[in-house]
Amino acid sequence: MLTKIWSAANYGLKAVEIEIEVNVADKGFPGFSVVGLASKSGEEAKERVKTAILNSDFEFPVARITINLAPADLPKDGSFFDLPLAIGILASNLEVIPPPEKSYFFGELGLDGTLRHTRGVFLLAILAKENGIKNIFVPRECANEAAVIDGIKVYPVKNLHEIVNHLNKVKEIVPLHTIVVDDEEMAGPEFDFAEILGQEFAKRALEIAAAGGHNVFMVGPPGSGKTMLSRAIPGILPPLAETESLEVTKIYSITGNIPAGGSLIRQRPFRSPHHTTSQVGLIGGGSNPRPGEISMAHRGVLFLDEFPEFTRASLESLRQPLEDGFITVSRAIGSVVFPAQIMLIAASNPCACGFLGDPKKECKCNLHQIANYQKRLSGPIMDRIDIHLTVPAVDVNKLMNDKEKYTGETSATIRSRVIKAREIQKARFTGLRGIHDNADMKNKHLKVFAKLTDSANMLLKQAVNKFNLSARTYFRLIKVSRTIADLDNSENINNAHIAEALQFRVREE
Amino acid sequence: MNIQKNWPIKTIEKADFPEQLKRITNCPKKLNYRGIWNNKIFDKSIAIVGSRRMSQYGKWVVEKFVPELVAHKFAIISGFMYGVDTTAHKETLGCGGVTVAVLGGGLNVFTPSENEKIYWEILEHGGLIISEYDNDFLPTLWSFPQRNRIVSGLSKDGVIVIEATMKSGSLITARLATEQGKKLYAVPGPINYSLSVGVNYLIKEKGAIMATSPEDITTKKLSIYQLSIDNYDPLEKEIIKYLIIEPLTTDELAKKLGKNISLISQKLMIMSMENKITEDLAKWRTI
Repeated sequence: MLTKIWSAANYGLKAVEIEIEVNVADKGFPGFSVVGLASKSGEEAKERVKTAILNSDFEFPVARITINLAPADLPKDGSFFDLPLAIGILASNLEVIPPPEKSYFFGELGLDGTLRHTRGVFLLAILAKENGIKNIFVPRECANEAAVIDGIKVYPVKNLHEIVNHLNKVKEIVPLHTIVVDDEEMAGPEFDFAEILGQEFAKRALEIAAAGGHNVFMVGPPGSGKTMLSRAIPGILPPLAETESLEVTKIYSITGNIPAGGSLIRQRPFRSPHHTTSQVGLIGGGSNPRPGEISMAHRGVLFLDEFPEFTRASLESLRQPLEDGFITVSRAIGSVVFPAQIMLIAASNPCACGFLGDPKKECKCNLHQIANYQKRLSGPIMDRIDIHLTVPAVDVNKLMNDKEKYTGETSATIRSRVIKAREIQKARFTGLRGIHDNADMKNKHLKVFAKLTDSANMLLKQAVNKFNLSARTYFRLIKVSRTIADLDNSENINNAHIAEALQFRVREE
Repeated sequence: MNIQKNWPIKTIEKADFPEQLKRITNCPKKLNYRGIWNNKIFDKSIAIVGSRRMSQYGKWVVEKFVPELVAHKFAIISGFMYGVDTTAHKETLGCGGVTVAVLGGGLNVFTPSENEKIYWEILEHGGLIISEYDNDFLPTLWSFPQRNRIVSGLSKDGVIVIEATMKSGSLITARLATEQGKKLYAVPGPINYSLSVGVNYLIKEKGAIMATSPEDITTKKLSIYQLSIDNYDPLEKEIIKYLIIEPLTTDELAKKLGKNISLISQKLMIMSMENKITEDLAKWRTI
């Protein structure tokens, strides 16, 4: 007997409808085979499904079972078709009546028949809506992901028993209510800027970076607060707009990073991969392409601590996505585009031991080591970073003694200024494709959008001579001063703006 | 600029050495050298030695002392290693002065290799490169301290120590200088800097002359350095007031002045553009 069940496989950032044909033949030697380019985890579905059916006290047919996953030429990654497989087999056994209208079944089975958290439910729901599917059956733990999409009925399924009872109309499962996205609702960041004592200069630099979407490079000895500062950045970025939130949720769903019961991602991502992360782990890839850390940080912050310790290949591979805001992974079967609009925060010690220039501790590196350490950072990747910042060590005793003197601004206050500056930029760049903030500006845009007053121009020229600025540094400097002027709500860039921007230049020895 | 690199290696016998070198114990029998030897070079000469791991402060000291010494026509003798030595050679060349490098290896061995350019520039500017070792001798742990006796021995007007830890070659040079009866100068530093411990020790225990300005060495004052801040605006005056005491970060200054960080950082940048202050390693200091 032939039964057809529908589900969806993920490819890149899209779900593709999969038709699952289950044939239970009375003739032939008893067996169980899956065809249609299932991955290893898919092949193993046979064992999971068989055991789950038996452990749920259903009959498993002693017959020749053939499963076909169509389209047959698309590789299907993951364990999502455990549930449709089980339903198909039970239906051919007449233990369950499949729904008359086309529905999607999706989820991995445990050996006891319960459904597990499965990645990609959010994309399934989007596909269901596009294809006009009314009902989808997904594991209860990740059903909230799908419930964000309106116009479809999402059935949270706990185990095989529950779904069989539902389909046989013995005991129906109540579909989830659509979750309404509230723009105001957003979890707070890990750290508030007010919690970080001192480092006002660094905070100001990060405010400018957040306002203009500039990448930042921080150099400072261990313990100066680089990591803490970075972790606080999501809190001063504007809240995720709904469309942005959907983009982020897609990526999080496909990588299985939405926690059980979680739905739409409302907070800007903050990713801090370790420096041993492979190139594929960083930018994405694999035979069935998966997004990397740079895409996981889409619309948020990618924090690379110990920046020089990353392999050369990893660092170089960041160049293209930093420029384009997306990354294309090409494979024999086709290419996949993952978004990667990130704010890069790179941090480094001044030298391998970390104490170069520290007044108290002696640096133990020799000149060769220092040169080697800093050489790793030179080159094109540094050209994509607008703000260069030295974070000096803080004197702990001093901090403890005048604790009450530090009344830093809260992240919320800073964020309100950032939002204002971003609005100015939004108005400025309407109609320009691919340019969202000041950091995206190309040299030709600077002429139009970044007008300097005469005295600012003079100051800039002086600076070029005094500090020997390269042409690239020069243009980056104007971009940063444009953002400072925006924070100041000023149409033109004046002296003060240039002077402040000058402190964030690359120090070339 | 095309640098000439075909300077021949010559040898000079003890009999032709400058008098002050002949007198030292353990005087070498002959020296190999590149350049044009003239004993007049050493008539007014001073040795500068210091840590290989020079700090920004050490660099600042070299850059403050050397131009003044060169202006007084001193030849600067040093050991060609990185850190204070290299900076002293470089700074002398930058000021158009004559400098003499005494190598810890043979004349055909460039140690450190990145200094090769300076090597030829020293010759180009009428200086000398000297070694007591065979031309292809690779420097070793003992050859550096050994050549130190020549560094101090060649100098007529003394040895200046700029930054030294307690266990450094610079202290060896300082000991040799005293034994050879040379004047010993040391530039003091903050007592909590490891690089200052050695020099402060020389002043405190070994009777080195404390040199806090080039005039302490040149004895005659050529230029009087004075901070005139009369035409500065009130905020600038206040900033200078704090910076005269100690170098400060932007953060520290903003806090002391109770002013907005962005405003202070703009002001500091403009002041540095006007050469009123300078910045290194995130700290501002007066010029």
